[in-house]
Amino acid sequence: MASPYLENFVVDENELFSIGEAAAQIKAILKMLGIPSDVIRRASIVAYEAEMNLVIHGGGGRMELEVRPERVKISALDAGPGIPDIEKAMMEGFSTASEKIREMGFGAGMGLPNIKRNSDSLELLSEVGKGTTLRAEILVKQEREG
Amino acid sequence: MTIGELCDALQAEVVSAGDETQKIEGVIVGDLLSHVLGSARENQAWVTIQTHLNVAAVAVLKELPLILLASNRRPQEELAAKCREENVALAVSPLPAYELCLRLGALGIGDVRGS
Ligand SMILES: Nc1ncnc2c1ncn2[C@@H]1O[C@H](COP(=O)(O)OP(=O)(O)O)[C@@H](O)[C@H]1O
Ligand SMILES: [Mg+2]
Repeated sequence: MASPYLENFVVDENELFSIGEAAAQIKAILKMLGIPSDVIRRASIVAYEAEMNLVIHGGGGRMELEVRPERVKISALDAGPGIPDIEKAMMEGFSTASEKIREMGFGAGMGLPNIKRNSDSLELLSEVGKGTTLRAEILVKQEREG
Repeated sequence: MTIGELCDALQAEVVSAGDETQKIEGVIVGDLLSHVLGSARENQAWVTIQTHLNVAAVAVLKELPLILLASNRRPQEELAAKCREENVALAVSPLPAYELCLRLGALGIGDVRGS
């Protein structure tokens, strides 16, 4: 991999039932690139949760994948309602998802904590009425010997 | 134990056969997609009462080869179709999740810590 591998994915707000398509493509690309399986596992969780939030909260948007030998970067960008209190949003169990969405098993308030736990760095920028940008990086650690 | 043997032993109604020779290595129980996403390990069977299409997406992403619907919950047609397309096994049991798990335990599934 001389230059970074870049890919963009459009995530439609109406595709509640097909959430995971971008995440599945991201996983397939990482496999194709020979990224270690533990990194793929973590990246898949990050991608799926980010995709869920785009559809459920962000009114749809797009995702970006950037892969370098030393790290995988996943971004989710939307022009939705934004997050008024990011600290609160990051708390385990906090969710503004509707009852209907919760009954389907989405919206458990575990998405952002899941993303944080599975990434090495997380940046969440949001402005109410303007939108939200999430950037998560997962480092590819060199295999340890012994 | 393989998926085929397991579905037979449970007398579960198989909706999608999946790869019947695939071995099951443990069980994850949950109806919250984020929980399953965060906690499931590859090759586990997934016991749930969620019946919509997205269950397949999570199973594929997490490489869970068998979805067991508890309490006789019928899969939505889109879920059944997607499981067949993705070669994920999908079966329905009349047992509630807890009793289904007891049966799985009695069959020797789930005691995989440290292995
Ligand atoms: N892209 C987004 N746009 C607007 N709000 C968001 C976005 N992502 C997350 N949020 C807010 O943060 C809360 C917590 O998110 P998360 O931890 O993923 O839980 P959940 O999605 O289950 O509600 C959401 O309920 C929502 O209020
Ligand atoms: Mg979420």
